[in-house]
Amino acid sequence: MNGGMHGEQNNPQIRIRSLDKDSVDFVLSNTHLSVANSLRRAMIAEVPTMAIDLVQFIENTSVLADEFIAHRLGLVPLVSATVEQFKLTRDCTCAEYCKECSVEFTLHVKCTEPGTRVVYSSELISSNKDVVPVVDEDGQGVILVKLSKGQEINVHCVAKKGVAKEHAKWSPVAAVGFEYDPHNNFRHLDYWYEKNVKDEWPLSKNAGEEVENDPGAPFDFNAEPTTFYFNVETVGSLAPQTVVIQATRKLQERLGDLQMALEKDQNPDANANMDEGDPWV
Amino acid sequence: MDATAADTPNYIALLEVPEEKMVVLPGASDDLTSVTFCIKEEDHTLGNSLRWAIMQNAQVDFCGYSIPHPSEAKMNVRIQTTEQTNAVDAMDKGIDDLKSVCQLLKARFQQRIRQGDYARAA
Repeated sequence: MNGGMHGEQNNPQIRIRSLDKDSVDFVLSNTHLSVANSLRRAMIAEVPTMAIDLVQFIENTSVLADEFIAHRLGLVPLVSATVEQFKLTRDCTCAEYCKECSVEFTLHVKCTEPGTRVVYSSELISSNKDVVPVVDEDGQGVILVKLSKGQEINVHCVAKKGVAKEHAKWSPVAAVGFEYDPHNNFRHLDYWYEKNVKDEWPLSKNAGEEVENDPGAPFDFNAEPTTFYFNVETVGSLAPQTVVIQATRKLQERLGDLQMALEKDQNPDANANMDEGDPWV
Repeated sequence: MDATAADTPNYIALLEVPEEKMVVLPGASDDLTSVTFCIKEEDHTLGNSLRWAIMQNAQVDFCGYSIPHPSEAKMNVRIQTTEQTNAVDAMDKGIDDLKSVCQLLKARFQQRIRQGDYARAA
């Protein structure tokens, strides 16, 4: 592939251990810790999804404050399989928002009977059949607010495309499990314990994939981790395999941008600017 | 340059690709074997793995990165090379190599998904 890179670290291997509707468990090997960490960080914060970003309150007589409900609405996961078709609002030609960069939602519920009326995220009415709140088997979604008799909520929401480095509501994952060296052979961890380390720190399920070093053997200072255990758990907005693939794509895109910037920096005009010696430009 | 309200970045502007994504900081050697690049809007996601990729090049004597201040979206990458090459080429090669690692990673994952020899929840 490329002459300069040596070793096996430039030929990453992947083994998928399990895959279901909202999680994927895989083992990444033959690569460097920094690459594995880039993948982990990209999955958490760089994969675009859709989330409610603007909320207009027409009526809110519930016990919860407007901003509290707006925050909850922002965190509602939306099915984002079609997120690629949307533009980022800042790249869009429209003034505020339009159907090319957003999806509108309405929610109007009034409790007219005694007792508690529970409002679920599934009651949000979407302007786009492909972007709807994520629901589980019971089809209800998450509870947004509870209303008593006479209370009413009427809101208009705008969902936009975004990434989690701007706001965590856009993260496609709830958690990314990341582990290497389950036997702590490299001594990257220094376990705290009362009486016995082995009893108080049970081995993870990944321990079966590797062998523990002989405790009497001399410590290998040059050993580096090469195998990384990932468990990607999504919030339901994107399929778990999509999250992994989009994260690698995003990394490639960012590197492409960097390369373009480097070329631009190499042209004479850019260098003339540099010679002025102003480090703050 | 006066910091007016108009050029104070808001949280949306932080994600835009800035005009000068990458600049060479003053103090680079004339033959460009020792250069510090200042890259805007990049963080540890690419920083650490890019540093690693650049270090894989046998002609690179030193490569390090730092994010001088957490509230400034800037990353500095220092590269020192032998006289056989220069820091700009080393950076270019590092980016290329890391890109191909990402490409392989993606291809391998897609291949495994297609093969389908994994456990599936009932």
